[in-house]
Amino acid sequence: MAVALVVMIGVSIYISMNTAYYNLDHSRDVFYRENHFADYYFHVVRAPYQVIKRIEALSGVDMVTGRVQMDVPLMRENADRGTIRLTGYHLPLDKEVNRIQLLSGRMFDKDPSGGRIEVLTDPQFAAANRLNPGDSLVVAAQGREVTLTVTGTAGGPEFIYPMKDAASLMPEPESFGIIMAPLNQVQQVLGYPGQVNQVLITVAPGYDEEKVAEQVEKILEPYGNLASYPRKDQLSHAMLDAELEGLQKSASSLPAVFLVLAAIIQYVMLGRMIKTQRREIGILKALGFDRRRIVMHYAGYSMMITLLGAVLGIIFGIMLSSVFSKAYAIFFNLPQEIGGLNVKAIFYGLIFSLAAGAAAGLGASRGILSLNPAESMRSEPPRVSGRIGLERWTWLWRKLDNYWRMSIRTVWRNGWRSFFTMVGVMFAAGMLIIAFFADDSMDYMLTQHFAFEKSYDYLIRFTEPVKEYEILNISRLEGVVKSEPLLEVPVRVSFGVREEDDLLLGMNPGTTLKTVFNEDGDLLAIPQDGVLMNDMTAKKLGVKVGDKVTIETRMQSGVSQETSLKVLGINHQMIGSGSYVSLKQANQVLRESRIVTAVMLKVDPGKAADIEKELNRMTGVSSIQSRQRELEGFEKQMGYMIYFVVIMVSFAVILGFAIVYNSSVIGFSERQRELALLKMMGFSDREVGGLLLRETLLQSIPGMLLGLPFGRMMSQWWVAAISTEAFTFPVVVYPRTYIVSAIFGVLFVLAAHWFASRGIRHIEPTELLKNND
Amino acid sequence: MGNIMDLPAMASKNQTLMRLENVSRNFVMGEVIVEALRDVTLEIKAGEILAILGPSGSGKSTLLNIMGGMDRPSTGRVSYAGEDLTRVSDDLLGRFRRHEVGFVFQFYNLIPDLTAWENVEIAAELVKSPSSVAKVLEEVGLADRAYHFPSQLSGGEQQRVSIARAMVKNPRLLLCDEPTGALDHQTGSMVLSLLANVSRSLGSAVVIVTHNTVIGDMADRVIRMRSGKVAEIITNPDPLPPERISW
Repeated sequence: MAVALVVMIGVSIYISMNTAYYNLDHSRDVFYRENHFADYYFHVVRAPYQVIKRIEALSGVDMVTGRVQMDVPLMRENADRGTIRLTGYHLPLDKEVNRIQLLSGRMFDKDPSGGRIEVLTDPQFAAANRLNPGDSLVVAAQGREVTLTVTGTAGGPEFIYPMKDAASLMPEPESFGIIMAPLNQVQQVLGYPGQVNQVLITVAPGYDEEKVAEQVEKILEPYGNLASYPRKDQLSHAMLDAELEGLQKSASSLPAVFLVLAAIIQYVMLGRMIKTQRREIGILKALGFDRRRIVMHYAGYSMMITLLGAVLGIIFGIMLSSVFSKAYAIFFNLPQEIGGLNVKAIFYGLIFSLAAGAAAGLGASRGILSLNPAESMRSEPPRVSGRIGLERWTWLWRKLDNYWRMSIRTVWRNGWRSFFTMVGVMFAAGMLIIAFFADDSMDYMLTQHFAFEKSYDYLIRFTEPVKEYEILNISRLEGVVKSEPLLEVPVRVSFGVREEDDLLLGMNPGTTLKTVFNEDGDLLAIPQDGVLMNDMTAKKLGVKVGDKVTIETRMQSGVSQETSLKVLGINHQMIGSGSYVSLKQANQVLRESRIVTAVMLKVDPGKAADIEKELNRMTGVSSIQSRQRELEGFEKQMGYMIYFVVIMVSFAVILGFAIVYNSSVIGFSERQRELALLKMMGFSDREVGGLLLRETLLQSIPGMLLGLPFGRMMSQWWVAAISTEAFTFPVVVYPRTYIVSAIFGVLFVLAAHWFASRGIRHIEPTELLKNND
Repeated sequence: MGNIMDLPAMASKNQTLMRLENVSRNFVMGEVIVEALRDVTLEIKAGEILAILGPSGSGKSTLLNIMGGMDRPSTGRVSYAGEDLTRVSDDLLGRFRRHEVGFVFQFYNLIPDLTAWENVEIAAELVKSPSSVAKVLEEVGLADRAYHFPSQLSGGEQQRVSIARAMVKNPRLLLCDEPTGALDHQTGSMVLSLLANVSRSLGSAVVIVTHNTVIGDMADRVIRMRSGKVAEIITNPDPLPPERISW
C-alpha cells in the first residue's frame, strides 16, 4: 500500500503538472497565433501614422500596427491613485498586431454618441476594482481629467501576465490596469493627433528578425527611437515563459523522484517476500514450473501494486490538474478555458510508473533464477552478523546497552535497505524545505527591500520633469517629515558592441529614503560623478568596475543625449532594478540643471491620509506609490503560496511516511521470530517496540539531518533552473523552517513506526515452538 | 494473584512448584475443533528433572506452552507456587516468564546480532539478581567463545549459549523443547549433562519435552503423553547420569 501511495503521488504530480504545462503552453500558442502576437516592439517619441506604410513595405515585415500607448494616472475618490496603461486600437481589429479579444461586455465604439469615450479593461483590473459595463473611470491626461466609460473586459497576447514593469514582482490589479480604447480616442486624449508612439511588427517566416528590426529602426530614427525589443523581452511573455519553463522542469524531475523511490521500495519489499517464500518457490520449481513463470508471478505482483497506484494517481492527478488550471487562470489572462485532459500525460504517466514497477519486480526476482529447487526448499541459513566498524571506537561502544548494539548492528547489516530508507527520508525532509523555503525567501526579500532599500512612505512621480524648487509645494505640506528628490531617466547603456535598456536614477549623495547596496549587502555611497551600475545590466553587458560605458537618454520628449560614464560600483537590489548616479550627474546626462521627476517622502503617520488627499488633487502628479499599500499587496499575493506549501508538505509527509513505514514493516516481518523470542523471555510490548523504534530512528535521523541541507541545495538548483536574466531570487531558509521541517519529519517517522509496529501486540511467543519440524 | 516477583521462596526439593488440574486445550482449526490437551492433571516439583515424552501431535508442545505462561488452558486450572495463573493478565504472565522461567529450544533462537556474551547479558538484565554472565559462560564451557556471534558458533555451542542464557536468570523453572533434537549424539549428551547440572546447582525444576524416549532415563519422573492425554506417570527411583545414556 505504501508503494501504491508513492506511485500515486508520482503519477498525479506528473499528470497534473504536465497537463497544466500542456494546457498553458497550448492555449498560449493558440492565443498568440490567433491574435498576431508581435515579434518586435519599437517605442518612439512621436511618429506620423503614415510611417507604418513605409514599414509595411519592408521585405520581411508581415504585419504592422502603429498605436499610442501610455501610462496615465487613474484618479479615484477615497482611494489612492492607480496607473492605467491606455492603449489605442485601430478598428476593425482583424489586421492588428497584438489584437485583443473581447471577454465580457461589448466592444467599444469608435465614435459613440454623446462624445463618450468607450473602453475595455483587463479582467483582473475589472475584478479588483469591481468594474461593470457602464461604470466610468477618471484619468488624468495632458493636465486635465478625462472620463472613460467601461463597456467590458478584453485580453490580448501581450497582457496575459499584466505586470506594470520588470521592477514589480507581481501584478497589482488594484492599482494597475490595462485600458483598451479606439485609437482615434486615445490619440485625442493623449495629444497624438494622427500620430503614434509605438510600432509593432510580426516578421514573415524565413526572415531574420534582428535584420528586419534594424531596417525598421532606421525608418523610425528621425522620430526619437526610445526603445526596441524582441518578443522574448516583452514582459508578459517573459514571465509566462519563465513559468512554463519552471513548470516543465518540475513536471519531469519531481515525479521521477517519486517513481524511483517507489521502485526502490518495491525492490526491497519483493526481495524480502521472495526470501520468505523460498520454500514455496522451491516446491514450484520442483514441480516443474519454469523459471519464467515464477519470475512473472513476482514481477506481476509488483506491477499490480504499481497499477493500483497509477490508477489512483490518474484520478487524483486529473483532480489536481483542474486545481492547477484554476490557479493559473487566476494569474494569467487567457481567454480559453485552461482545462481539458491531457491524454498523452496520462498515457506516459501510466507507462513510466509501470516500467518502474516492472523493473523493480524483475530486479528483485532475479535471485530466483539462480536458486536450485533442493537448495531453496531448505530453510534459510542463520543470519550472519559480526562486528561493525563502529565497535572499534570501544569508548563509545561500551557506553551503549545491548538494545542499541542490536539495533545498530541490524541497521548496519541491512546495508542497502538502511541506506535507501535514509535516502528516502532525506528526500522527504528535503521536500519539506522546498515547500517552505519560497516563503522564507520572499519574506527575506521583502524585509530587505522595505527595511533597507527604501524607507520612504510615498514616492510621488510627476507627469513631466519639474524644477527642483517646485517640489517645495509638496515638501511643505503639513506632516511631511522629510523629502528627497529623484530624477529618473530611461537610458540605453552601451559597452563595446552590446547595449541594454536601463533606468538611471539620480539622487543626491547622502539620500536616506532610498539606499543602494552591493551584492554582499554593503551600503554603497552615491558618487558625485560616475555610475553605480545595476548588476543585471552589468552582467548582460559584461561591464566591470572601472569600465567606461556610453549612456544615451531616451526621454519621452526632447532629443536624446550621449554621455560617457565611469562605472564606480555594481549595485544589487532585491526588488527592482536601475543604475544610480548623483542628481547632478543625471541632470548633466540630460543637459539640464536642477530638474527632478519624482520626490520621496517620509511623513508623520497621523497625517498620511491628509497628505494623500492633498497629493491626489495635484494634476501634475502622475502616481503616488505608498509603501504601506505595496507591502500589503505583496503580503496578499504571498497568501496564495499557502496552497503550494500545503500540497508540497502533504506529499513530503506521505513520501516520508511510506518509506519509513515500508522499511519498518519489512524489519518487523523479517524479525518476527526474534521479537517473539524477546516476548517469550518476558520483554514487554513497549520494550520490543522500543527496539524497533531505535532501528527506525537510526535510519531516519541521519536521513533527516542530511535532508535539511539537501533541501536547501535542491532549492538552490530549483531557483537556478527557473531563474531568467530578468528574474531571480535568493535562496533563504530561516532556522525556524529547519525546525518546522524537522518537526514534520519526526511526525511522519513516529506515525510510520506506530503503524508498522502495531502488530507487536499480536506476536505470539508460541510461534517459536512451531514450524520447527 | 499478587506480584509474581514476590512469590515465596521454595528451596526444599519435592515441594510442588507448578500444578495443572484437569487442563484441556482446544484449538479451532477451520471447522474442526482439535483437542490438543484433554483433562491433564500433573505437577512439577521444585528441583526435579521431569521428562515429557510422546510422539508428534501428542500435545507436548501445547503442554509446554501452558507451563511457560505463553498459553492458557481452555478449561482447568494452572497454579504456580500456590498462585493461580489461569486468569491473570498478559502483563503478569509476561512478568512470570521474565522472572521465573528459562527456555531452551531445539533451534537455540539466539539473537544473531548479539555476541554470545550479549545474548546472555540481555537476559541477565531482565531480572533483579542474575548470576554473573562470565560465570555461566564458564559453566557451559564457552568462556573463550564469549565474543563470537551465533553465526560463528557450532550447533552445540549455540545450544550451550542458550542454556547459559536461561541459567543466568536463576529461574525456578527451566523448560526445554527438544533440546538435543538438532544435535549429534555427543553434543546432545553434553547438553543434557549441563541441564542436569542446572537442576543440581540452581535447584531449578528442569522440564524436558522430547520424543526421544531414552532421555527419560535421566529424569526423576517421566510423563508419557498420547493423544493429548497423560498416558502414564513413571517415577524413576535411580535416574542415570546423562553421560551414561545413549541413543
